[in-house]
Amino acid sequence: MLLAVLAAAAVLVVVAIVVSGGGGSGDKAKGRPAAAQKATGAIPGQKESAEMLAGIPQSNIYLGNPAAPVRVVEFADLQCPFCREYSLQVLPRLVQDYVRSGKVRMEFRTLSFLGKESVTAGRAAAAAAQQDKLWNFVDVLYFNQGEENSGYVTPSFLQRVNRAAGVDPAKAAAFAASPASLKPLTTANALGDRLGVQSTPTILVGRRGGKLTAVQADPTDVSGFKAAIDGALGQA
Amino acid sequence: MSDRRLRQVAVVLAVIGLGVAGYLTYVHYEGIKPVCGLGGDCEKVQTSAWAELAGVPVALLGLIGYAAILVTLFIEREEALVAGALIALVGFGFSAYLTYRELFSIDAICPWCVASAVIMTLLAIVMTARLLRVPSDHRGAIPYVG
Repeated sequence: MLLAVLAAAAVLVVVAIVVSGGGGSGDKAKGRPAAAQKATGAIPGQKESAEMLAGIPQSNIYLGNPAAPVRVVEFADLQCPFCREYSLQVLPRLVQDYVRSGKVRMEFRTLSFLGKESVTAGRAAAAAAQQDKLWNFVDVLYFNQGEENSGYVTPSFLQRVNRAAGVDPAKAAAFAASPASLKPLTTANALGDRLGVQSTPTILVGRRGGKLTAVQADPTDVSGFKAAIDGALGQA
Repeated sequence: MSDRRLRQVAVVLAVIGLGVAGYLTYVHYEGIKPVCGLGGDCEKVQTSAWAELAGVPVALLGLIGYAAILVTLFIEREEALVAGALIALVGFGFSAYLTYRELFSIDAICPWCVASAVIMTLLAIVMTARLLRVPSDHRGAIPYVG
């Protein structure tokens, strides 16, 4: 009796393990079969970022319709915990409500002032941008963000994030190691200085071609950002 | 320990498990951050790829599991005992796997999840102990001693 129960339990556990960790219905809906995720080694955030960004055009650091009337510019450090909160709690709502409908185009500017690992992660982000997968990369990285400068941004960590974000890891590693990967960081730094960015995350909102204004809002609460975007959309 | 005492222990464990899994299910559907002490990162665990099984939150599966075990404890039939032990053992095995993922894949620990894993482990032990008390030649309903 006991042996039969143990055997049945073992079979059920094995089935549950095979189904878990990336085999959810959401992946299948987005054309990412469980087997593909298993092969790449599913990590936290893979499913969520794929779902959030599915079908939205990306070009280098930009996300969404190039002709969108409003632009939202995010200045963030990949090691900054509040940037993570914004990215995981607020961004999905904004993408769903404004970017997906073509009203907003987003732009991600990577700052790297928190230390050596911010630079390493930032250069990897630049490589993901080269493959038009920056937003997936950033989102997956935030899901897996570790303790600041604790040594977690290793080549194998970046490889896992790249795979989960749909970035070609070999090409990305080669670009990240080249001097060209530093350019977007210096550009973002200079632009941030020019726009008066003093902390991260700083989110600026404005009409296309118009002046950008920093949103003064709790980075974990979507309402302040929605109000700013609605305001920009409402301007004639 | 008598079967009556084992059953009482199992009822207490299943009720505590219901509370833990119920809380985790609640925060999952409400989208709020769980209260997470002991240096854990419940949010990271709750938002990981392993937080759902075929689209169903594992917290909800736990809730259903504890409820089912509780129901079997009040049915005086051998089939109910077998079903209860089976659910507890499956719960134990899957909890062990999820704890492994917390430690080695997600790199974060959710104390609520660990609490549930401990409760399910204890339930698996108690339910297996009850099952071992059933005579091997027994075919009918077990004598109720509760």
